[in-house]
Amino acid sequence: MEKASHLSVIIDLSPTQWHLSAQTSNQYPLSIETFLSQLLAFLNAHIASKHENSLVIFGALPGKSVLLYSSTELLSDDVPSLDANSYLPFKLVDSAVVQRIMNEFDAIGELEEEPPCALVGAVTKALCYINRITHPSSTTAGVAEDPSIVHDPRILILSVSPDLSSSYIPIMNAIFSAQKLALTIDVCKVYGPDTVFLQQAAHLTNGSYIYLERRDALLQYLIMSFLSPTSIRKILAVPKQDKIDFRAACFCHKNIVDIGFVCSVCLSSTHYLLLSCDLAVFCQPLPVCSTCRLATLVP
Amino acid sequence: MAPRNRDDNFMDVDSDSDISLLGDVERRGKGKGKGKAADKRKKDKGKAKAKEQAYTWEASYTRSWDTVQEDEAGSLQGAVEDLMARGRRRRLLAPAAAIRRTIIRHLVLLLDLSAAMMDRDMRPTRFDLMLQYAREFVVEWFDQNPLGQIGVVGMRAGIGERIGEMSGNPQDVLKCLSDRTRLEPTGEPSLQNAIEMARSSMSHLPTHSSREILIIFGSLTTCDPGNIHDTLDACVKNKIRISVVALAAEMKISRDLCDKTGGQFGVAMNEGHFKDILFELVPPPAQRAVARAGGPGANPAADLMMMGFPTRLPDSSPPSLCACHSDMKTEGFLCPRCMAKVCDVPTDCDICGLMIVSSPHLARSYHHLFPVKPYETVTSMEGESETTPACHACARIFSTSASTAAASEGISLWGRYRCPDCHNDFCTECDVFVHDVIHCCPGCGK
Repeated sequence: MEKASHLSVIIDLSPTQWHLSAQTSNQYPLSIETFLSQLLAFLNAHIASKHENSLVIFGALPGKSVLLYSSTELLSDDVPSLDANSYLPFKLVDSAVVQRIMNEFDAIGELEEEPPCALVGAVTKALCYINRITHPSSTTAGVAEDPSIVHDPRILILSVSPDLSSSYIPIMNAIFSAQKLALTIDVCKVYGPDTVFLQQAAHLTNGSYIYLERRDALLQYLIMSFLSPTSIRKILAVPKQDKIDFRAACFCHKNIVDIGFVCSVCLSSTHYLLLSCDLAVFCQPLPVCSTCRLATLVP
Repeated sequence: MAPRNRDDNFMDVDSDSDISLLGDVERRGKGKGKGKAADKRKKDKGKAKAKEQAYTWEASYTRSWDTVQEDEAGSLQGAVEDLMARGRRRRLLAPAAAIRRTIIRHLVLLLDLSAAMMDRDMRPTRFDLMLQYAREFVVEWFDQNPLGQIGVVGMRAGIGERIGEMSGNPQDVLKCLSDRTRLEPTGEPSLQNAIEMARSSMSHLPTHSSREILIIFGSLTTCDPGNIHDTLDACVKNKIRISVVALAAEMKISRDLCDKTGGQFGVAMNEGHFKDILFELVPPPAQRAVARAGGPGANPAADLMMMGFPTRLPDSSPPSLCACHSDMKTEGFLCPRCMAKVCDVPTDCDICGLMIVSSPHLARSYHHLFPVKPYETVTSMEGESETTPACHACARIFSTSASTAAASEGISLWGRYRCPDCHNDFCTECDVFVHDVIHCCPGCGK
């Protein structure tokens, strides 16, 4: 491990899903408290493995995304009281993350209906952040061999929510920008069914997508699969998923389809007209394309 | 733009002395052709580069660093910000009207490999420059047209020569352009033979895809076995769009090829201009209503195309024969309808004919359908009751005082740009990054 590596962690903090995950009817119940304690151990391992390693944590909450912790700048002024039994960098991360998550949860309050988790917002923020630290502007640093420039950025998504088909296009756009920045997206599916979109994200960016089978062994999965930077993974043979679904979501019934009907006009059309409509993939032939409102010829 | 009139044309002929191989007649034709092309370009708004300098040998040496001005403190900050402002304005000026564009494109790149390409009027030679630009073109083209396919045909020694089969994989196309020695120019070019070869390789394509031929032509002659105007008519009938980038001069037949098929014609005046006119052909062409309507209605109906989204087999699966090459392979994609195994996507299934695309391919074509709205410039901090201290996306802390640079349109003195939908503030870098790369606002998540 020669160069410092950067890790952006995105935690899916959907209260409903975490509640379901903690229920004892599951084979391996996992509550958010246990999850956080295991995750913090993993984050500490990342910080400890090299002094220059940087870490940013984003939380995807219902309807919004927040920056929970950033190793480059202090978000709050209150430095936790020193404790002889704890190592300060660990203590900083742990207290900041737990404190902010609790604050955000408290702020949610009683809602009739929970809006979907803003995973896209968190991913795009992570991309912007990585863009900022990998391409420092003239205002921040001018030296080419600045040690703060990271070479090996990664994003780790800890997902509990199912796919949200309306976020299909933004997720895809985020994946393509991740490819342009040459960074890796790893996905750990902690709870819930496989998500097709995140599978594709991991595949397209050479990351690994791991579905947690034994959820009581979360920490072991994290350390074995996601701690090593990409340069070392070639040697370590990190597990990847074997079968990848390249299916798209249809936008008439929100089904994920393997054979779809694609409107050739939307596909071969307009740059700036369709601002509010959906991807024109349908699971059955429709007489009128709902996207561009043109009569279609059913094949 | 350099002043250019009839007299200049004569001067051009005189100053054209570095090409001594060409005959007198040809030389005059060349001067005329170029002059004409330049005149034409004067009318339509060409690239800025084309306007500024006409011929390499006429242009005075411009020092690019002279245009950058330092401010009083000796800093280049102001100049850099001015450049960015220009970029922002250009983005805002993008056409707002709806244009119908082709996304599934099929292009045959027709390279002139005749002896005329060894001419040294473009450094190092026309041939080397063409190869270099063609490679850059292919990379950029696949970036913007991920569902497209490119084939490569060369013309040398009087025949058309297939250099690369139609392929959707940029690596395949780049590989066939990489071997310089295999493409060594020789003999006379034959436009007709090469176009016929390109046409036959595109004859089977479905109607919803575009068929295009891009000719990079350095010669001033063509030796054809038959009447090239018959070939031209056949191309018009098959709705093949021909674009020509000429390196030497305008020829009547190449102009006709473009005009009748709806393509673009350009004569490269220097190396930079060559690249400009070549790269103008990268974005998908707007479809012409006349050429494409095909029926009485002005608004052609949409076809619903059946597309399959395959499953990728893991590298560790048992090896089996693929349907396309009959090769023994472990990895591959399964057609969702007939479960045949194909090597690569996008393609048409060899067994059942279903069009197989992976959904990322489709989604990549869509990012320009849903652009992020341009962020508003925050020009005044007054009246803001509560302001966020840091950029909403990258958490960079905003400066609290206004920058001292001269105010210009499109630049915020506070470095803040606000999304009109979610009203979050973003810094300059994130603004550019969001609009150019991510195409998705971090605040709205759309």
